[in-house]
Amino acid sequence: MNEMAIFWLLLLLPTACAGLCLLLRSPQAIMRVVGAGALCQGAVGAAAALKVLRGGQAILSSNGWFNLDALSAFHLLVMMIVFSLSSLFAWGYFHEEMSEGQLRLRLARRFGALWFGSMAAMTLVLISNNLGILWVGIEATTLLTAFLICIHRTAASLEAMWKYLIICSVGVAFAFMGTLLVAASTAGVLPSDEALLWTRLVASAGQLNPMMLKAGFLFLLVGYGTKAGLAPMHTWLPDAHSQAPAPVSAMFSGFLLNSSLYCILRYLPIMEGGAGMAGWGPRLLLLFGLVSILVAAVFIYFQRDVKRLLAYSTVEHIGIMAVGVGLGGAGAAAAMFHMLNHSIAKSLTFFGAGRVGQHYETHEIGKIQGMLRSCPAWGAGLFAGVLALIGAAPFAIFMSEFQVLKAAAGSHSWWTLGLFLGGAGMVFMGALRHLIAMAWGDPSITRVQRTGWLEGAIVVVPCLALLALGIWMPQGLQDAVRQAAAVIAGGKP
Amino acid sequence: MSSWIDGVMVVLILTNLALLGTSRITVCIRIIALQGVVLGTLPMLAGEEVTLRLALLTTATVLLKGVVFPWLLLRAMRKAEIQREVEPYVGYILSVMVGLLSLGGSVWLAQGLPLPGPMAGTLALPVALFMIFVGLFTICSRRKAISQILGYIVVENGMYAFGAVILDEVPTLVELGVLLDVFVAVFVMGVAIYHIRREFDHMDVDQLDTLKG
Repeated sequence: MNEMAIFWLLLLLPTACAGLCLLLRSPQAIMRVVGAGALCQGAVGAAAALKVLRGGQAILSSNGWFNLDALSAFHLLVMMIVFSLSSLFAWGYFHEEMSEGQLRLRLARRFGALWFGSMAAMTLVLISNNLGILWVGIEATTLLTAFLICIHRTAASLEAMWKYLIICSVGVAFAFMGTLLVAASTAGVLPSDEALLWTRLVASAGQLNPMMLKAGFLFLLVGYGTKAGLAPMHTWLPDAHSQAPAPVSAMFSGFLLNSSLYCILRYLPIMEGGAGMAGWGPRLLLLFGLVSILVAAVFIYFQRDVKRLLAYSTVEHIGIMAVGVGLGGAGAAAAMFHMLNHSIAKSLTFFGAGRVGQHYETHEIGKIQGMLRSCPAWGAGLFAGVLALIGAAPFAIFMSEFQVLKAAAGSHSWWTLGLFLGGAGMVFMGALRHLIAMAWGDPSITRVQRTGWLEGAIVVVPCLALLALGIWMPQGLQDAVRQAAAVIAGGKP
Repeated sequence: MSSWIDGVMVVLILTNLALLGTSRITVCIRIIALQGVVLGTLPMLAGEEVTLRLALLTTATVLLKGVVFPWLLLRAMRKAEIQREVEPYVGYILSVMVGLLSLGGSVWLAQGLPLPGPMAGTLALPVALFMIFVGLFTICSRRKAISQILGYIVVENGMYAFGAVILDEVPTLVELGVLLDVFVAVFVMGVAIYHIRREFDHMDVDQLDTLKG
């Protein structure tokens, strides 16, 4: 197939689905389109990603504006997994509300259109080779997802939406300044119409103005870091995640934040190639990562709301990815593997927290007891998911965290190793304490939640995948992870 | 042309200081409108010659930042029945002093960061840093949600000023994409204010504090 056709298909398919959602006349039909559309898009995206990862050859459009290399292909694959799972889950999640008539047509239409719209915007982020368009895509995701947070309009959800909108818009504006400074660094090196093309920037990184690059990277790290949820710019994150409906929270944690971290990763090879700057960019990222892990650990230990707990756990895991990439080499590959594992596990736990929360009509940890008995399917899913998230063996996250640790030991960064272990240990204890309280004990409600086969599958499949990946990592995945890490390292394996 | 550009930069500095010292929101919105119009002429001034692309870009920017944004903001104010005072946490005179201090700071910072090539010597970078600071300060120091939108626009304007002077040939598509994003951002924020006003019966940011921990 023509390479331009792939890119246009990836962008236009979700846009068309968004338009379709606005035309449909019943919430049920819209939810069906959400599920089916996401599966179609997932198939197309996965096919394109696998083509790149298998062939080991990036697809670059002839005008140079679109580029799908191993890094973006791997991200695209993770995104398709998260979106397909969340879209299928949305059916079960909104089912009761739809049958009770609470989810009115207007809200369902808005959900469907914004859902697919944000999917298109994230795809645009992943496939654009022009760093200006990359920024446009990230800002578009902020605007499109803002109203997804307050689908259920309450005072708290509006507050969360406003904070998200302002903090992320201003944060992402900083990234725009960074983009401009990086473009300014190309003066006299690249012709101005190529100044923002990533492939050109990487190729001529050595001749760029290092002062401008450094200043630009600071703005970029703070800007995209705000949206990626790196501490201390993470303040919007727990509010937005706790107030959004569960499928939206899963999409936020499972992919929205990764797409913003991806933007920072795009700039790393340019920084590394810059004159006399080897190690400067990754070291900064490593620092933000460690701060994120420690801040999250404290808030998780003293948390009272299960969705906020999961949100802080996301801050921790984004931090772990930043640490892995910051360590470089094997660490970057481990970070990519970790991203896949985290996205699967976090989607599963947000689904579980959402459905368990619906059953108990609260998200307060203290009021949820005996969830294994009263919500057999989702309680077990949430239980297994949190166990995976805190790094219990033999789940896959244990393996990827172990690989990050090994990379830290390999580069003799003992401080990193110690702080990471301390933070992860505190998260382990804190989250386990809450989890045990929620899993057992006398259920305050006697009613048992019923779930259909589709929901059962959404619980079982991710659990099995996490277990399988923890025990055995297929050769294809190892190659994919290594290729993605090689892109971050600037093409050096 | 460079003297014209510096003239525009001075006007931008003055509008920002005026913004910090103004107590009525409608006046603030008009100041932002003036800033937008002045800003819109920058690509034209920075370009070597007047091309169709530059003319289009200038028109789009002036219309958007000078007319559409103020209209959206005034409409949001009317719909949400917002009272006219800014209600700052930090007094007006003190705000202007902070503004002047940050102007000095931006000039000092920009000196450590000489622009390469033909852009050297313009005020673009110090003014951009100054506007980013004023915008952030407005966001943090004013109680009304609408002031936060104004702050966001000032931050964005600062970056636009920098971009217009630094890059003579950013692809039109990217510039239009950026303008579109900012337009949608202001629009969405206006709608959000309306909903907040309806739900809370106020729009003071200091009362949006139930979510903690």
